[in-house]
Amino acid sequence: MLHTLIQKDDHRLIYLFDLLRELVARDLKLRYRKSALGILWTLLNPLSQLVVLNLVFRLILPLNIPNYTLFLFTGLLAWHWFQSSLYAGSGSIVDNRELIHRPGFPVVVLPVVSVLSNFIHYLIALPILILFMLLAKIQISSAFLFLPIVFAIQFVLSLGLIYLLAAFQVMFRDTQYLLGVFLFLGFYLTPVFYDSSAIPARMQFLYRFNPMVTLIDSYRAIMINAQSPEWLHLMIVGLAAIGLLRFTFYIFQRASYRFVEEL
Amino acid sequence: MSEDAILVEGLSKKFYRYHSGRPWTFQEMFLRGADWRRKRHEFWALQNISFRLAPGRTAGVIGRNGAGKSTLLRLVGGVGKADRGRIETRGRIGALIDLGAGFHPDLSGRENVFINGVISGLTRKEVAKNFDSIVAFAELEEFIDSPLRIYSTGMQMRLAFAIAAHIQPAILLIDEILAVGDYAFQNKCLERITQFKAQGCTILLVSHNTDLVRRFCDEVLWLEAGALKAYGEAEQVVGQYLAEMGARTRHLTPETSSVQTASTGAELKLNENRFGSLEIEIEAVNLYNMTGEAIQELESGKGLRIEIVYNAPQPIAAPIFGVTITRSDGLVCWESSTQSALLPVSQLHGKGKVILHLDRLDLIEGQYFVDVGIYQHEWEYAYDYHWHVYLLSIHSAQGQKGILSPPHHWEFMVAENL
Repeated sequence: MLHTLIQKDDHRLIYLFDLLRELVARDLKLRYRKSALGILWTLLNPLSQLVVLNLVFRLILPLNIPNYTLFLFTGLLAWHWFQSSLYAGSGSIVDNRELIHRPGFPVVVLPVVSVLSNFIHYLIALPILILFMLLAKIQISSAFLFLPIVFAIQFVLSLGLIYLLAAFQVMFRDTQYLLGVFLFLGFYLTPVFYDSSAIPARMQFLYRFNPMVTLIDSYRAIMINAQSPEWLHLMIVGLAAIGLLRFTFYIFQRASYRFVEEL
Repeated sequence: MSEDAILVEGLSKKFYRYHSGRPWTFQEMFLRGADWRRKRHEFWALQNISFRLAPGRTAGVIGRNGAGKSTLLRLVGGVGKADRGRIETRGRIGALIDLGAGFHPDLSGRENVFINGVISGLTRKEVAKNFDSIVAFAELEEFIDSPLRIYSTGMQMRLAFAIAAHIQPAILLIDEILAVGDYAFQNKCLERITQFKAQGCTILLVSHNTDLVRRFCDEVLWLEAGALKAYGEAEQVVGQYLAEMGARTRHLTPETSSVQTASTGAELKLNENRFGSLEIEIEAVNLYNMTGEAIQELESGKGLRIEIVYNAPQPIAAPIFGVTITRSDGLVCWESSTQSALLPVSQLHGKGKVILHLDRLDLIEGQYFVDVGIYQHEWEYAYDYHWHVYLLSIHSAQGQKGILSPPHHWEFMVAENL
């Protein structure tokens, strides 16, 4: 997929890198420029959810999961990255009408910008997660070296979904509403605030069709249990994500010729 | 592959029009079923367009609104996909289209230069290298670190053009560039385009301004309803285009034999000395000297004020007012229009007056006519055009040969004073 983008041309590669950098920087600057709390806004959303869910599942409906705050935060951060990327990404074509109309503008970068910007929010929150780890007296283990692999798979998965959603959003403007419904349901079907092992064994197979299950399990294996992730599951999700991306990228490119007419 | 910078062959582009609008949501689609697809009809925005442009040449694209000019320009720029035919281009493409894409009011001028520069096809390094020059070109040194929201529209356009002016494209696509900024800055823009041309840039320019097309273009494509109506040397095609505009005016001129009397007492007869659709009418044309007296005679070198009283019973969008001073034998001595003077006229409704001030008129003695016209905003046809109705006699003590009688004097010096 990338070689169609890069065309074996150094200048082109530098250009695309610069373009991504500027567009991501624009996203971030715009989000934080005019707010007094600045960067804290990124953290406010997951942190507030952290407080509420902590309250609910520790005091009201105790789940008895050890290191629950840390457990919850690993899940919340990954889910937030996923959810915000999909929201922003599905609107990335419709919201950038003037860029789509510019000769020479590589439309394929816009969904990448959405996933990247939200990944940076994830990275900004990462120190807090590490703080929770230290509070829970968990050492940063060598398993952390696997973290980039999990990031990469989540990145490819999000991007693969976004290429399809963004193309749909151009044709049907209620795609984002539908996406909202699916993400709302997805939050409960993903082990964000509970453990995936709580799902009965006979339903596990079906349950694992949600790729975020494996991803969040992997984050937790690395960050809480200092273990390597379950490779088989992770590799299946990784391959599926790559297959999805190839497929949706193709659809997106074919649809992109029509964007100009529909916007 | 050929040596042409741009090669377009058999290019056709189809658009769909939906009778009741296509469904914009899943909800609508489910409610209406597959029915909407049958209720669309297609139309060809471009049909079988072929042309080739050698490197360094400038081609103009003219034609009425909706003739497909912008669609052609965008397709050449790689935006959208042709349904038939092929387009080949060689080299980096720069575009003076949608200037200011990606500008954001909350970011500073500096930040916007980087974002827009990269969007326009420069790398960050190239933007950084040209940064000072871009800011200097836009004349915005003092404001560059202020947020864009405090900029006036003109300032924003200046910045946008300045960035575009620093791309080094092999092919430059231009869409109606003269919508930018004030008069002085527009001249700067035109100068920059001349430079691009001199540097060997291949240019494709869309414009309604036939003067501009004549001035810049080597060849011209005339599009009508998506088809190539004429393609050739600029002078020739623009000439044809203007001639057809004239024919259209005659066609639209009502066929009544009503004779009106002009403000000067002369008779106004349709299709004789008056042409146009009369959607706006010229009610009176009055000539005044600098002291404000109504005149028909003027001394050469004195100022002249021409007042055009119009009446637009229906609202008319952005008409163009034009004045031509012709000698009685038909020679055009001088011409000006609100468009060439870059004076935007907004929508007109009701009565009003347009005044042209000539600080001095240095013509030799003779009989002249002040021909006055109001034209459709793309020069498609005239609303009302009074030809050889308003007489102006110029008196001068100077010689009678030539055309001009500028203020002048001779000086004589012998060698020792040099």
